[in-house]
Amino acid sequence: MTDTPVFAVVGHPNKGKSSVVATLSQNDAIAIALEPGTTRTRQSYPLKVDGRTLYTLVDTPGFQRPRRVLEWLEAHSLSASDRAETVKAFVTQHQNDGRFTDECELLAPLIEGAGIIYVVDGSVPYSAEHEAEMAILRWTGRPSLALINSIGFDDYSDTWQAALGQFFQVVRMFDAVRAPFEQHLSLLRAFGQLEPGWEQPLEQATEFLSQQRLKRRSQAAMMVARALEDIMSFQQTRTLTAGQVQETSDNSLAVQMREQWYKRQRKREQTLRIEIERLYQHQRIKRQEAELEWHSEHDLFSESSRKIWAVNRRYLATAGFGAGAVGGVGIDALTLGTSLGAGALIGGLIGAAGSYFYGDRLMPPALRIGVLQDGLKTASFGPVQDIQFGYVVLGRAIDHWWHISHRNHAGRGLLELEPADHHWLENLGRQSRQTVQRAFDKSRKQKPLDGQQRQELAHAIEQSMIIYDDWRLNRT
Amino acid sequence: MTNSALRLFLDFDAVSQRDAHQPPAFLHRRDRKFAQLCKERDQQPDAQQWLNHIAHLSGPGGAGSSVASTQTLRLWRRVNSGFIAVGTLFGIFTMIGLLFYDGGQRINITVILAFVALQLLLAVFTTAQSLIGWQPWRWLLNRLRVEAQPGPGSKLQPLLMARAAQLGGLGFAISGLLTLLVMVVIQDLAFGWSTTLETAAAGYHRLLVTVSAPWGWFWPGAVPDLALVEATRFYRSDTAANIINPQRWGQWWPFVTMLWATWVLLPRLILSVCAAILVQHKARRLLARHPAMHALQYRMETAVLDTGNEHNDAADMPDTRTNSTLQPLPDSHVLLCWAGAGEPELPRALVNNNTRIFKAGGRASLAEDQQTRVHIATELEVSSPPTVIILTRCWEPPTGELQDFLEAARDAWPPSTRVTLVPLSPDMHQEPAAHQLQQWLRFADRMSQGFVSVSLLRLGFRDPYLEQEQQ
Repeated sequence: MTDTPVFAVVGHPNKGKSSVVATLSQNDAIAIALEPGTTRTRQSYPLKVDGRTLYTLVDTPGFQRPRRVLEWLEAHSLSASDRAETVKAFVTQHQNDGRFTDECELLAPLIEGAGIIYVVDGSVPYSAEHEAEMAILRWTGRPSLALINSIGFDDYSDTWQAALGQFFQVVRMFDAVRAPFEQHLSLLRAFGQLEPGWEQPLEQATEFLSQQRLKRRSQAAMMVARALEDIMSFQQTRTLTAGQVQETSDNSLAVQMREQWYKRQRKREQTLRIEIERLYQHQRIKRQEAELEWHSEHDLFSESSRKIWAVNRRYLATAGFGAGAVGGVGIDALTLGTSLGAGALIGGLIGAAGSYFYGDRLMPPALRIGVLQDGLKTASFGPVQDIQFGYVVLGRAIDHWWHISHRNHAGRGLLELEPADHHWLENLGRQSRQTVQRAFDKSRKQKPLDGQQRQELAHAIEQSMIIYDDWRLNRT
Repeated sequence: MTNSALRLFLDFDAVSQRDAHQPPAFLHRRDRKFAQLCKERDQQPDAQQWLNHIAHLSGPGGAGSSVASTQTLRLWRRVNSGFIAVGTLFGIFTMIGLLFYDGGQRINITVILAFVALQLLLAVFTTAQSLIGWQPWRWLLNRLRVEAQPGPGSKLQPLLMARAAQLGGLGFAISGLLTLLVMVVIQDLAFGWSTTLETAAAGYHRLLVTVSAPWGWFWPGAVPDLALVEATRFYRSDTAANIINPQRWGQWWPFVTMLWATWVLLPRLILSVCAAILVQHKARRLLARHPAMHALQYRMETAVLDTGNEHNDAADMPDTRTNSTLQPLPDSHVLLCWAGAGEPELPRALVNNNTRIFKAGGRASLAEDQQTRVHIATELEVSSPPTVIILTRCWEPPTGELQDFLEAARDAWPPSTRVTLVPLSPDMHQEPAAHQLQQWLRFADRMSQGFVSVSLLRLGFRDPYLEQEQQ
């Protein structure tokens, strides 16, 4: 069979067919509502690799008059061998009949050779009403798989499983909103099992999807690295005329510049959020999280925020030691090793001590006002001197990434970024800790990272993502 | 020496910096397509072809054109020219200074030797500092605004600066040599040698022979002999030296010329060429190690995955407005359970001894539905007012089958018949959720003309005023 596999997602109205399609096609722009009749015509969602389609999912409207269709089919069939043909005849005859628009839309891909993915809602009781639908699908003679999707919180999956088992080759549970990525792949592999010729393309598709997921993680890490560098090194500057200098007090200038500085930092963080959401093909997410505010209750630098995302002093000291030692190695190199590593040791101790003593203190950026030159004065605010700021932004960015990377495209709820309750970064390897610390140090001194250092930072952030993922999945 | 590798690197760096603002999915599609195009043409894709491809697509002066590299190269050409010009001027003045002779003092060969050694040292130092990445000239670049943006491009800066310095040194050496030759022609120069150290002429001669080794084999005349060395030693306090033949003082010029040409000009020439080669070599190496090159190769090698997310109908939602509201539950003894509603047990509030219960939809056949309609019609003929309560499952949306049933019933039942739909929740002790009721209200609205209404089986007291406000 040279044709690519096509799977028609069919079922009773309002049972989550579009949710399944949205999750598997990573499309959050498919209309999903708790309203029957949201899907009115069939819509194809091909998965393409380099423009070559590996499989196609077809979202269809739900059955409206299954008993009447079944009656028509039974009235026009002589034996089991003509059933598929009879279904085709039904579609041909009722193509323009408004009463059977939905049935024609959902049966058309089946008579063209699509596999059947029959979706039911496992959170409501089994209804015999569905038996006519299942009988019609059996008449098509196409390979079939039933999916028990759970829209609500109750669980009637056992009765559904027993009933569906009589009509379908394979019965699977799949929560379109909450199923983890591995389950998506496993479901696609199950689709591939429906017909021998479908196994290879579906296997290829799952392989590509896995690769894409890994690649997205690396890209997200690079995006976080760039944002951290920007945020840590940002300095707000303003040029004042002599008149403005006289009119504005230092305090009010500091307040104004601080506001601008916050605004810009918030904007940069939001840009990162959107970049990562776009990367994971989430275009329509509504987020709810504490904004980067300095002194409000949900403030980035409030005690509670620091407790949640900032690292402890011991962590800072160890990371600071490594970062300082690297600087000290330069002294050893200059002395051609005659300092016997004393440079590294001293550098490490200075780094550790600095991080230990200053790492736990709130150090907002200071306002600096330059000297009057040619009738103008330059005032600057930032970059941030508090190293913990970087860890807070990093923690929030990785938390957001985790929620996005684990969010299915069927999800339409508000994205709530609730804070973590334990410091996950403790599990990060020493080298990665030092890389992050060094990058923060360099950025807040406004020394740009070179390509190699940026790569290393992105790699360290990717390691942090792996650790966070692991911690999130294993926490009780 | 062409700047091809340098130009390629600068172009690639500029394009990759611009690409940082492009969405990753777009970059992947673009580069994967390029790789496939190369495969079709049986070509191995490389950076030059990639840039050509982008430039070709954007047209002349477009995205992939070498505007960035042209600007950078032009700037460096200016820096190089500036260094050559300054070096040339310095060369002339330095040589005039070295050969200053007013007929009194001799021009000291020892000073010239020391100056040549210093030049050699500076030339080697320039190359060495570029190799270790030290940039003593950075302040100058900052002033000239040719400081590279942080990134792979900045690693070329020391080498480019060293090349400029070597070219300046080359200009210095050439102009110095030419000045020397001009001075030899137009003036009578009196060379001698002098030192405070207790050195015999033989020792000094050995030093000169060693220094002259590179040219001694092809121009022996440019190697001073021992007699000349012995004859031209002078002491500032010794006036007797003036008694030798003045021609002897001038016999040093071939040596001085070859000394300058061999130990100042030639090293600068060699090191300038080396600097140019090093720049090209480093540009090639930086290009190969460029982070964007790894990303490009990855994008070219990895297939583009499109999961089918182009379709967007998120805004195309059904109209959920309805004019219908819940009506009070009527008193009726005709109860129809639609598609299994009320199973396994009917709500007690709806059933009494006179209640007639009918079933339709779901497992029942269409013929059975028809029979049920006939039976209900018979019941309604003796009912006043004729009212039917239809129980439904609130979670199953109203389908076309119920619509067909009711339309047929409207024709079959007495004209004043009113139908009340009562959606039941899976848990008999709970009322249906609001969104589940909405679909039934809209259905009743569609059926129109007051034939169908929706009621709820009240399970507890509700404040009617509050309810009205909520509606």
